[in-house]
Amino acid sequence: MDPEQVDEFVMGYLKKKGFNNGTRFSSIDYHNDPDLTKLIRSFSQSENDPSRYREGYSKLRSWGDNSLDLYKHELLRVIYPVFIHCYINLVGKGHTQEARAFFNSFRKDHEMVHLRDLQKLEGVLAPSHLQEMEFARSLRQSKFNIKICQCSYDLLLQYLHRTESTLMLGIINERINFQVYSGQPNSASDDIESVTISGSFHETADHVNQKEIHWGLLEDRLQKTGGLLSDSEKGQGESKADSKKRSSEIGKQGSSVKKLKKDKAGNATAKVARQETSMALSTTPRVKPELAMPVMSTDVEESILEDLRNRVQLSSLAMPSVSFYTFVNTHNGLNSSSISHDGSLVAGGFSDSSIKVWDMAKIGQAGSCALQDENGGRNYTLLLGHSGPVYSATFSPPGDYVLSSSADTTIRLWSTKLNANLVCYKGHNHTVWDAQFSPFGHYFASFSHDRTARIWTMDRIHPLRMMAGHLSDVDCVQWHPNCNYIATGSSDKTVRLWDVQTGECVRIFVGHRSMVLSLAMSPDGRYMASGDEDGTIMMWELSTARCITPLIGHNSCVWTLSYSGEGSLLASGSADCTVKLWDVSSSTKLTKAEEKNGNSNRLRSLRTFPTKSTPVHALRFSRRNLLFAAGPTSKPAS
Amino acid sequence: MSIVPKETIEVTAQSIGITNLSPEAALMLAPDVEYRVREIMQEAIKSMRHSKRTTLTASDVDGALNLRSLEPTYGFASGGPFRFRKAVGHQDLFYTDDREVDFKDVIGAPLPKAPLDTELVCHWLAIEGVQPAIPENAPLEVIRAPADNKIYEQKDGPLIDVRPPVKHVLSRELQLYFQKIAEITMSKSSPALFKEALVSLASDSGLHPLVPYFTNFIADEVSRGLNDFQILFNLMHVVRSLLQNPHIHIEPYLHQLMPSVVTCLVSRKLGNRFADNHWELRDFTAKLVSLICKRFGNTYHTLQSRLSKTLGNALLDPKKALTQHYGAIQGLTALGHNVVRLLILSNLEPYLSLLEPELDCEKQKNQMKSYEAWRVYGALLRAAGLCIHDRLKVFPNLPSPSPSLLHKGKGKIISAETRKRKLSADSSQNQLPHKRLMTTTDGLRPQDHTGPAPMHVDKPMGKKGNESESRHQNEKERGKGRVITMKAILGQIWKDDLDSGRLLVKLHQLYDDRILPFIPSTEMSVFL
Repeated sequence: MDPEQVDEFVMGYLKKKGFNNGTRFSSIDYHNDPDLTKLIRSFSQSENDPSRYREGYSKLRSWGDNSLDLYKHELLRVIYPVFIHCYINLVGKGHTQEARAFFNSFRKDHEMVHLRDLQKLEGVLAPSHLQEMEFARSLRQSKFNIKICQCSYDLLLQYLHRTESTLMLGIINERINFQVYSGQPNSASDDIESVTISGSFHETADHVNQKEIHWGLLEDRLQKTGGLLSDSEKGQGESKADSKKRSSEIGKQGSSVKKLKKDKAGNATAKVARQETSMALSTTPRVKPELAMPVMSTDVEESILEDLRNRVQLSSLAMPSVSFYTFVNTHNGLNSSSISHDGSLVAGGFSDSSIKVWDMAKIGQAGSCALQDENGGRNYTLLLGHSGPVYSATFSPPGDYVLSSSADTTIRLWSTKLNANLVCYKGHNHTVWDAQFSPFGHYFASFSHDRTARIWTMDRIHPLRMMAGHLSDVDCVQWHPNCNYIATGSSDKTVRLWDVQTGECVRIFVGHRSMVLSLAMSPDGRYMASGDEDGTIMMWELSTARCITPLIGHNSCVWTLSYSGEGSLLASGSADCTVKLWDVSSSTKLTKAEEKNGNSNRLRSLRTFPTKSTPVHALRFSRRNLLFAAGPTSKPAS
Repeated sequence: MSIVPKETIEVTAQSIGITNLSPEAALMLAPDVEYRVREIMQEAIKSMRHSKRTTLTASDVDGALNLRSLEPTYGFASGGPFRFRKAVGHQDLFYTDDREVDFKDVIGAPLPKAPLDTELVCHWLAIEGVQPAIPENAPLEVIRAPADNKIYEQKDGPLIDVRPPVKHVLSRELQLYFQKIAEITMSKSSPALFKEALVSLASDSGLHPLVPYFTNFIADEVSRGLNDFQILFNLMHVVRSLLQNPHIHIEPYLHQLMPSVVTCLVSRKLGNRFADNHWELRDFTAKLVSLICKRFGNTYHTLQSRLSKTLGNALLDPKKALTQHYGAIQGLTALGHNVVRLLILSNLEPYLSLLEPELDCEKQKNQMKSYEAWRVYGALLRAAGLCIHDRLKVFPNLPSPSPSLLHKGKGKIISAETRKRKLSADSSQNQLPHKRLMTTTDGLRPQDHTGPAPMHVDKPMGKKGNESESRHQNEKERGKGRVITMKAILGQIWKDDLDSGRLLVKLHQLYDDRILPFIPSTEMSVFL
């Protein structure tokens, strides 16, 4: 670039910035300062040349790749935000063609981790799209947070200054928020939290997660899990007899001697486990309910107590029995299914806007013929009323109501005793994806495509609370065992915990890499598990909002999760046609040990039960710890 | 720059009646179209996830359009994959094949069968952590090596519970299933039920634990029930179903199964009643043998050699009964052409000379014996014929034969078939000497007026009741003429393929014209 061009550019720049009497500055002798000339030149280039982005990015990338292994993974974290913003800038400036070429040549680097985001961004081709698209807007409005050690940070700065790539420097300066810490770089494995995408929102997340949370159980609801404490001695004998009876009922193989021995062993372990759980229970804090709780009738209470007394203790040594309900001839129309708490009722929501409820107890009996007659040849109860695909149908805890939600934006309450629709709740503006009863019934939560979750009671047709804040669709919802909180999982890859009383968001859990599809709360209320589209399950500790460990094993969508009655096992059902059992107790116990030796331990996958090409849609541990599963067979009907 | 080409925009614009769309506008629209389509597809994927599916359907796209308050797509909900056709003359232009349907046809058509109603079935996926091997569950790896368990134990420490591989544990359901199948197999009353049982055996998973029991059962019953033809036949059907089941690894039990199968092939006596069609059983078993060899020949190298040795011994032992010879020949035929050439064709001449006296009705007074001999003769003919057919098939196709000749060839085959059928059907009647006469000359039965043989046209037709003398004369002349032409052609073949030509000549010498039906018609016409 010759001096005249430099002159011209400087004048033009000054004019643009409002210095009309640019001649005054011409007295400054920048021609003789080579550094200054170079800087000006690079500025002029970056202003009008889209290929600078490509050049700068590919240099930065290869520098990162060639750096020392010790710092490599930290330096490579910087690459992704730079890539995203290079692309956004290119699109924003209208260089559509270059943007597309840039994107396609480097997208492979990030596909592994950020596939969903890339797919979203790929379609953005015009500046107007950037304005319109939620995701792009949030990216532009926020900063990336990157944890990086001092040494890596220095290295990066050094590189940026040495190469004078002001463009890259600009992007990094503008879009990335470094959290520099002293000491050695972290190992590559625990970098889940080190890059968080939406910075501004993450700051609030940090802030939000400081709030106090009472995750303990309700104090006057001892019978729910605390019933074990008082009944444990009495229950021992009974459960022994019961388990023997069960084994004779269920067990079809083996000599009886062996069986007995196993039973004894099982009881011994059960005793240990029982003591452990009672220990754990005694340490769980009690909290007061914030909502007015419905009164439970005594006979219901008694039946629950009876169930708890007969509960089989599960652990890694004592596996549950799994009963599988298979839907056949669904013709691809089954959207959701659910199982009542005692496993006797099974409901399916279909895309032809019908709900079908099967009473398994009646089907097994001889009187099923009479049942068929009164239902017109069917052995299920058909509930019609919705005018769009039914996306959920769930049972109230005692099993006397069914709650369904549909694409027609309504939620309907049905009675299983009358086989009729009782209430239609209107309020959502879009498809209602799911509705869930609270652990004690009466209250329920729903969530929708309109990005809100709402709390309702059965006797009012308007919602009591509305929870807004997710950046995308809310995809699943789960109540905390003490009814004071609900958790929601969303397409924005976060899980949030909301206070039911105040409607405030009290926790944000960041770490999933794709849409969150299922949630489960441990019975003691301390932990939460969430499953996503890629098959990863994450265990969270509610109080700290930290991920304890990811459970990796499924290779497709995790549709459903369920904790066993005493919280020692987690069952997960997935689109890869398997039910997996995970040992949760050992890991949560080991968290203390983990603190000591700083070694993150993985939850163990105990068993995998493959089904015969049946994706698992619903799982439910009954109060007696029998696991029920349901799903439609995906084989074409012959 | 978009993945939607400008032309697509233009075509779409034309289809909705905008003719004056400028290329610039189309170029501007393309990126936006791409963006919108992607947006809708993302919504559709969301809809799919909430329907708990992993395949995208047209209804998901409709759902996505619905969420955006847009008109859904019409005419795609009927299900079934779309067939895209390439537009003639264009490389990258496709269209859906959408046929026009006549209202009359639609109204007149019978109602389609109503789809089956949704049902719920229940089974145990696991019992105390162990998956029972029932048909409802996915097939398990049943045989777990104990070594694996040990490794597992060492790796995970003492925390993990190691259950020993389930041994000798047969669930109640499986026991019942076995009993039921055994019962049905042994009873001769309900063929429909038996058919169902065979289908179940051939397709159900989770039957693997029963395989040793079934092999045992089959071996026992075959040795016990040699006199009961029907049971033997049922048992062989059971064997075939077991072989067909893809969830069963039958290899380890093959050595137990083979003796029973071979017994059913070459036993001296199968069934004790005269009416029992034990030939059919032998044929069926021969097919079974060939199936086994095809499937396990690769993994089980000695199988074929051992089989052919056993069968060869049975064939070449003159002391064995003719029925045994028949079974051996059928078995060898099923084993393939190489075996046939090696074991049958090489011994054909001496064997036929041995068989000759049996065939002769005057010498062999016992009609039964003579019938059996004819059966064996037929089987031999078939084996040799198939073999030579196979050889000739490899011949290059010679210039197109004249249609009339082709016709002739066909006629010959048909007539030969009728002869064969007749031969098996009524050979026990006293027509036998007469027929033998026919077969040794040409095999065309003059009585066979109903037969479709077009040969009759160019043949001096004898009236009913004609003396066999004159007919005989006639035939002889014809036969002679043919043999001469045949010789000439065979010479040519000989030039083409020394080996097969020689074989053919030899076979021709032994069988006269009866081998001809096995020669493919086109080649045959060449000969003629």
